[in-house]
Amino acid sequence: MKKRLLIANRSEIAIRIIRSAHKLGLLAVVFQSDKEPDALYLKYADEIIPARDAANDKPIFLDAERIVKFALEHNIDLIHPGYGFLSENPDFAALCVANDINFIGPSPELIRDMGLKTVAKSMAIKAGLPLVPGSDGPVTDAKSAKEYADKIGYPVILKASAGGGGRGMRIVEKPETIERNFKSASDEALSAFGNGDMFIEKYLQNPKHIEFQIMGDKHGNVIHLGERECSLQRKHQKILEEAPSASVSATMRQEMGDMAVRFAKSIGYYSAGTIEYILDEDGSFYFMEMNTRIQVEHPVTEMITGVDLVDWQIKVALGEKLTIKQEDIKINGWAIECRVNTEDPQNRFSPQTGFIDRIHFPLSENIRIETGVVSGSVVTPYFDSMIAKIIVHGKDRADVIEKTLFALYEFSLIGLKTTVPFCRAVLNHSEFLSAKYTTRWVDQVYDPEMLENEEDEMIGALAATIMYASEYLQLSSDTPTYKSDSLNVWVLNKRLNY
Amino acid sequence: MGTSYIYKRDASRLFIALRENGKRFKIYIPKESKPVINSVERDIDFVEQEDLNYIFDWNGKRFHCELVSRDQNKAVIKVNGVEYRYSLESIFSYIRRGMINNPDKQLNENNIVAPMPGKIVDIFLSEGDLVNEGEPILSLEAMKMQNEISANCNGVIRKIRVQTGQSVMKDELLVEITSIDV
Repeated sequence: MKKRLLIANRSEIAIRIIRSAHKLGLLAVVFQSDKEPDALYLKYADEIIPARDAANDKPIFLDAERIVKFALEHNIDLIHPGYGFLSENPDFAALCVANDINFIGPSPELIRDMGLKTVAKSMAIKAGLPLVPGSDGPVTDAKSAKEYADKIGYPVILKASAGGGGRGMRIVEKPETIERNFKSASDEALSAFGNGDMFIEKYLQNPKHIEFQIMGDKHGNVIHLGERECSLQRKHQKILEEAPSASVSATMRQEMGDMAVRFAKSIGYYSAGTIEYILDEDGSFYFMEMNTRIQVEHPVTEMITGVDLVDWQIKVALGEKLTIKQEDIKINGWAIECRVNTEDPQNRFSPQTGFIDRIHFPLSENIRIETGVVSGSVVTPYFDSMIAKIIVHGKDRADVIEKTLFALYEFSLIGLKTTVPFCRAVLNHSEFLSAKYTTRWVDQVYDPEMLENEEDEMIGALAATIMYASEYLQLSSDTPTYKSDSLNVWVLNKRLNY
Repeated sequence: MGTSYIYKRDASRLFIALRENGKRFKIYIPKESKPVINSVERDIDFVEQEDLNYIFDWNGKRFHCELVSRDQNKAVIKVNGVEYRYSLESIFSYIRRGMINNPDKQLNENNIVAPMPGKIVDIFLSEGDLVNEGEPILSLEAMKMQNEISANCNGVIRKIRVQTGQSVMKDELLVEITSIDV
């Protein structure tokens, strides 16, 4: 009898997982949420569980207990959590395990450890991974803050240990201002979070976000599949990723990759995982965190390595041994992923909801489309704004940039605005072309005017004029006094405009 | 002038699209041939229209245009995913608005008067037609000679005061042209 795989997720990643499930001879079961009862992914599944979550505050995908309850009722063997939602929730993973359901991911304990930044960092130190120089624990007074900062070297960043959202955060450029900044940041943290303790860390001026994909099995084998560069972010969320990274040399790749593998082995990790590093201008890199799920941007790695990561997640969960060796992993060409989010890049990426009247994707051998929508789909406010991903493969970086731009010009969506024009602006920008872009590009360099160009502007003027003119001329010929040979346009115009 | 005559006469097909940033497009939409934008005929292909969505091809590129909103003469058009705002007007309202905003400055009315007494034998253009400076408007016969009377500026023929066959005195008003400086 076929094993039954339940996907506790939706949209493009659900479809992606269904594809792997079918390839491996599994039955794919999905939830139908009342928040989007006509979603595209439902059409691909073998079985649909109606979740009846209309009256609930949270959609089914966030309701661990109901998911497991449904899974038991429907004789589910495995659960794939996808990304987001409960994918990195250790309690959900533990609940699956406790009910004898195979959770596709690492052990619940490791999900918990990696979710606690301080725990993850201390485990990383044990495995010999470098961390951004900083205070080991919270700093409570200005004097010790200065001692730390003098030791680390300026600039430094002060962060509220209880904080988030930029409050209680200061960047300090020189020793003279550290004590003053500490006091104000600490006061801010105290009033915002009820705790004035601060962390102090070296501040990287032009950081890049580099992450390594790893895959491990339950028999102690771990390999890495090279890096992805995800420096391009808005509101700390990635929007365009590439693999490999132009800022990682072959030597660095080996060093960073070996370290990632060593770390994963040291903690007994299995399934797909991502080790995130922050890379400084001078080439030094530091461990940031580990993600214990499949990532949105996993396709760029698949494009350049030819390894199907979701297949392997499932196979590893079923106890299979990793048959790929590290030396089998070869990087072939370059890949870029552009996320298609229904957001308005001309207006601070504000989300757009509503109907997709028509969507058209570029088609080509070197283009891979992962989509959760088709023409006629509805984008609801209940879920995130990513509706699709356009992944392009090229023979080198210049080639893939050119091909991606071409693909993005082929893309069209009528009804809502998307991040596609933003991706085009990125791909045309000198800092992207030179691969010098950093995680601060959107905040420091991006200007919505970059989205405009003179050709589009002129064609837009033409389109607007045709629409206006057809109405205007129509109106003219409908006017009873109009006679084409004796028309006094001035009189007519007066009638129209006053 | 030197430039070829590109507007196909009918001034009611000439429009001004103005962007918020002050950029101005002078657009002539002919009945059949290619559009003329800022005095240049553009080799733009009109590929498809569905409702208020247009697709154009130009310079080897595709342009998806979608009407996002329309309020009176203001339109927001999404071109390849990016919104542009325009205010639109006919050339006539453009001229008149110029008058309203600038009451001191009289509208540039150019009167063409008969340079000599004679008889109108032919009128080539009609009221509402666009003319270029130097372009013949009518033919005046005087002393057995036919004289072409031409436009003295670029503009729109506002009024033709005479008819074919009519005799006119020297300095009699023949044609009124509103000059357009666009």
